[in-house]
Amino acid sequence: MTAMKVDAKVVMLGKESVGKTSLVERYVHHRFLVGPYQNTIGAAFVAKSITIGDKVVTLGIWDTAGSERYEAMSRIYYRGARAAIVCYDLTDSSSFQRARFWVKELQNCEEHCKIYLCGTKNDLIEEDRSLRQVDYHDVQDFADEIGAQHFETSSKTGNNVDGLFQKVAEDYSNSAFELMPEEKGVDLGQKKDSYFYACCHH
Amino acid sequence: MAADVHNKSAPWEVQNGSLVPVERLRFDRSDSPTPGLVEGTEPGAGQERAMFVHAQSFEDLTAESEAQAEEKSEKDLVLEEPREEAKEDEGEEGRDEDAVKEEEESQRGVRAKEEDITSEAWRDHRKHVFVLSEAGKPIYSRYGTEEALSSTMGVMMALVSFVEAERNIIRSIHADGYRVVFLHKSPLVLVGVSKTAQSDRELTRELQYVYYQIVSLLTLTQLNHVFQHKQNYDLRRLLAGSEHLTDNLLRLLDRDPGLLLSAVMCLPLSSSARDVVSSSLQAAKAKSLVFSILIAGNRLVTLVRKKDQFLHHMDLHLLFNLVNSSSSFREGEGWTPVCLPKFNTAGFFHAHISYVEPASDLCLILVSTDREDFFNLSDCKRRFLERLRKRSAYQVLQEALRAPTYSVSQVGIPELRHFVYKSKSSGLYTSPELPVPYQSVEEQERLMGLYQSLHSCLHHPTRPLRSIYRCGEMENLFAWVTSGFELYLCFSPLGTKALAVSAVNKLLKWIRKEEDRLFILNPQTY
Repeated sequence: MTAMKVDAKVVMLGKESVGKTSLVERYVHHRFLVGPYQNTIGAAFVAKSITIGDKVVTLGIWDTAGSERYEAMSRIYYRGARAAIVCYDLTDSSSFQRARFWVKELQNCEEHCKIYLCGTKNDLIEEDRSLRQVDYHDVQDFADEIGAQHFETSSKTGNNVDGLFQKVAEDYSNSAFELMPEEKGVDLGQKKDSYFYACCHH
Repeated sequence: MAADVHNKSAPWEVQNGSLVPVERLRFDRSDSPTPGLVEGTEPGAGQERAMFVHAQSFEDLTAESEAQAEEKSEKDLVLEEPREEAKEDEGEEGRDEDAVKEEEESQRGVRAKEEDITSEAWRDHRKHVFVLSEAGKPIYSRYGTEEALSSTMGVMMALVSFVEAERNIIRSIHADGYRVVFLHKSPLVLVGVSKTAQSDRELTRELQYVYYQIVSLLTLTQLNHVFQHKQNYDLRRLLAGSEHLTDNLLRLLDRDPGLLLSAVMCLPLSSSARDVVSSSLQAAKAKSLVFSILIAGNRLVTLVRKKDQFLHHMDLHLLFNLVNSSSSFREGEGWTPVCLPKFNTAGFFHAHISYVEPASDLCLILVSTDREDFFNLSDCKRRFLERLRKRSAYQVLQEALRAPTYSVSQVGIPELRHFVYKSKSSGLYTSPELPVPYQSVEEQERLMGLYQSLHSCLHHPTRPLRSIYRCGEMENLFAWVTSGFELYLCFSPLGTKALAVSAVNKLLKWIRKEEDRLFILNPQTY
């Protein structure tokens, strides 16, 4: 394991048990763990490289805990993020309210952060349509309003998961070149000061 | 020596296997391990500095609450229902012997949240633990849902405030074979309801652990703040998802001698390999680092600390519990705020927690004061691993992980089934794997219950004992405490007391011989 260069910080946000960790597990390790629900403690960081055209983009993914206990702490996780995947559970309307909260938070504190709304557990809806509590078009309207992308995924089947992260990486790759040519990404081997100098816009 | 003890033991068997204190045994300090060794020279004692805060005895650990309790002891109230007294005593004697804890624990390991609190099964649990706010709002129940218990908890709070209104403190109620123990640590009230043979003190100690578990998640500052702000706040909102930590802690309290003895067990490892691991960890330092801790399951591999900063074993147990009760840290590199309540209840440390390899049991915990320092610590971990591999210590460590424990037969005492030895000055203990009759959870907890009861005899607040020998149908037990160590032995029921006493010497010699493998003799600082 050598020092890894992280290009884009991606943060997972959303109410507890909507499946943020499962989404990351599916994307990074290509697996879906069945078994009792295990809540994330604090946050977990994983780096994943992805090829976009002829470039390699390394996403540094912060999977945050949904519990309210860590809410005061959440800023350290999303500060300087280039993308936020705000998750909600398609079968739980309250989780979408929570997603709106995160969107607001990001709009206030991280204006450069791109927002991706992600409805999870799509496989449950496909099995039984009556379980759906969050309407697709409502979310689409909301996404248009805030200028966000909108996805519905299933970590169990893997449906749309790679597409979501692919899009995140593509958007980064496109925008990084146009908007911030000077930013060379973050070297994990560097001292923290230089890291936060490089990625913190506030 | 053996004869000496034997003579003194003559009047021992009289009542219920308990002993009069043996007179102080005087031995000169010597290299050969004898029970008279003073603190700091016993087998397993660290050579230079201790790793832990000076919490060398049970008294130290509980001193805080003890002092409080002592102060108010005259006013203290132990409510007993007179009608039930006879019944209770009878029950207790029965339990003191081997028949302890025979009840089947059917629901072990499962979070029995949906359990119906009106059912017999719910009532049959050996030990209930409840946490409530001072407004009487439920915060945690070991079994059953908190909502269903809100009226019960209301009654508990009423009892606490009723007694406190008269400037008294309610400590326990004994009735119908149950002990109801109260611990009021503002802004929380903790209640234990037990039908085990454990004493009030032991139960209170367990409640304290639960209290510190909650503080470690929130800090006392935050806890006070939310309740000052809103007295009837529902703390479950903030604790959501942490129930299994408390569940697991309560299981550990029933099974892990370390929590009982206020000590930590090490992974057996050759001292040269351990020194390489320690120095690699020491070299991978960062400005904000306070503690670097390498653990394997519930065993400590090594601990490096900042000079002048000590970790309390209770905090370490809470860290063990945090890591071992969650798969969350297997997912990636964990970065979480954590309060070490014995260090400081007011603030959070930030812990970088990650497994050395995805499938490995080795978990590295880097405790930092700076919440922005994640990438720096991540780099520390990388440097640590690099160095470890370069010096080929990683291989040795993997090897050691394959045999994380040892068999009691290595000691060469045929009648000896199991033992727990704690070196007081290092705060470390060693214990072989549980042999055949104690491998089931029920039997393991029964043996722990026996050790617990010996422990409470040795550390009785008003008449502490130095040693105790207890015969039972299933096993004979011997416990010994000196200024340097604490020792609990379990023999087959065919053993004799003379054999037990001579076994102590033999065992101590063996531990002395193996100490550099079983203990951390060279604790490091940055």
